[in-house]
Amino acid sequence: MDYIAHLTLNTGIFIILAVSLNLINGICGQFSLGHAGFWAVGAYTGAAYSVYMALPVPDFINLFISCIVGFISAAFAGVIIGVPCLRLRGDYLAIATLGFSEIIRIVIVNLDVVGGARGFTNIPNWSNLFWVYSWVVITIIIIANIINSTHGRAIISIREDEIAAESMGIHTFKYKTLAFVIGAGFAGLAGSLFAHAQQFLHPNGFTFLWSVIILLMVILGGLGSITGSIIGAIILTVLPELLRFFGETISQWRMVVYSLLLIILMLARPGGIFGKHELDIKSWFRRSKL
Amino acid sequence: MLDNSVILETKEITMRFGGLVAVDNFCIQLKKTDLIGIIGPNGAGKTTIFNMITGIYTPSAGDIILDQKSIKNRRPAVITQLGIARTFQNIRLFKDLTVFDNIRIAGHFRMNYGLLSSVFRNKKFHSEEKRLENETLELLEIFDLSDKKNYLAKNLPYGMQRRLEIARALATRPKVLLLDEPAAGMNPKETKELTDLIRWLRDKFQIAILLIEHDMKLVMEVCEKIHVVDYGMQIAHGLPKDIQGNPKVIEAYLGTQ
Ligand SMILES: Nc1ncnc2c1ncn2[C@@H]1O[C@H](COP(=O)(O)OP(=O)(O)OP(=O)(O)O)[C@@H](O)[C@H]1O
Ligand SMILES: [Mg+2]
Repeated sequence: MDYIAHLTLNTGIFIILAVSLNLINGICGQFSLGHAGFWAVGAYTGAAYSVYMALPVPDFINLFISCIVGFISAAFAGVIIGVPCLRLRGDYLAIATLGFSEIIRIVIVNLDVVGGARGFTNIPNWSNLFWVYSWVVITIIIIANIINSTHGRAIISIREDEIAAESMGIHTFKYKTLAFVIGAGFAGLAGSLFAHAQQFLHPNGFTFLWSVIILLMVILGGLGSITGSIIGAIILTVLPELLRFFGETISQWRMVVYSLLLIILMLARPGGIFGKHELDIKSWFRRSKL
Repeated sequence: MLDNSVILETKEITMRFGGLVAVDNFCIQLKKTDLIGIIGPNGAGKTTIFNMITGIYTPSAGDIILDQKSIKNRRPAVITQLGIARTFQNIRLFKDLTVFDNIRIAGHFRMNYGLLSSVFRNKKFHSEEKRLENETLELLEIFDLSDKKNYLAKNLPYGMQRRLEIARALATRPKVLLLDEPAAGMNPKETKELTDLIRWLRDKFQIAILLIEHDMKLVMEVCEKIHVVDYGMQIAHGLPKDIQGNPKVIEAYLGTQ
């Protein structure tokens, strides 16, 4: 039971990570490979708040504050990294964001207050299913509401054709930065929830590999689809656990299995499971009436 | 009262790409409801002129004046907001978005609610979205695209894509409209409709239009004045009938024997 609860909790955290990365990569079309870096910033700052500065208030309020701390510091890191990097395109942007997220990790390794290379211990166990999934819902609502507004359409237009968007009076750099910063912020929030579930953080837990896995979740579900990112996150958190049933060797080959899965998917459905579309329950009912 | 002051002026703008002078000291003046054509052989520098006016390129020399203010170092988005809209030679619609959204996006910078309103869906959000929706539907009606509003832009027939691109440019409420070869790829019937549309647009919206076009019939018929460029240089300008007989123009198009 404990195992299932833990897995469900992790799934929620990865849903937040995937949905927020989807805003940057899928909705805005900016190829970022630095999500693990923002996740780490949020995890460490959120945990640092709880360990060193927690207020004498109920735990859930402290958790809330630490989530906000995680969000704001990761968003701030997003500004610092986004402003220079978002002038780059495609592969260059991917490489630059990847580089920055590794820099973040190396900074953490050398920061003794948060444990450095030994890891950050004694983080209070404040995360639970209720709060994680509350944040999952809040994240999805906020990001979906932004996407379905004039600001979201501005962000989407950049993905569709940046020059045309700029020619329509859209300040493309501002909106690219906005999408990047909001995405980074929510990754930070997920980081804080993660820290208070694990109670222990280590810089090696935030390597570039995690950026790739989060990106895989987004691509698997369909770049640009929120529902897709959610499904992608669920599949790629549950799948490695299922692989364990097939024994230790298969489980060690998990990345190979991912790659195969991805290749098969790209051959069968190049746009991901959902393409750019959202799961629309209402339309299912409409169809079923026929 | 007919207001015919100058709205857009380029002052000896030059564009160099390395050693190549794509546009050399180009001057043009548009009054508020002028309809002027730019013609010239392939590679003459016509599109480059548009790219300078709309801020995609910054001129290597010269100045561009809109409404008595220099817009030379402004970014494209700001120039659009100040009142210059354009279409592209090779159509640049938001292909995977609907016709409706293509137009709505062009109304974005006139929307008056912030990010927090998007999140909390307050009154302002709903009223502004409603306004944009109405304006968009109105424009679609004018351009005879209402029944296609939920089509993806890429699924429209070619002539209609051109029309949508013009509608999208107009949705930014420009004072000056730049059309880059709007008749390219159109059949004679569509070109005829376009000719009428361009004239009608100028009259209805009271805007200045600058038109690049290879279709001589269209240009001669619709433009009040024509500028001819060749190898980046302005070789002639004047009334259509004067341009037609100008030996320099004939030479540029047919070459010397
Ligand atoms: N970004 C650029 N870099 C280098 N050279 C360029 C660039 N843009 C245009 N040119 C060159 O400038 C010259 C003018 O190009 P431009 O596109 O303005 O011609 P045009 O008159 O629009 O031709 P067409 O009728 O074929 O559309 C060409 O020689 C072109 O190769
Ligand atoms: Mg051209």
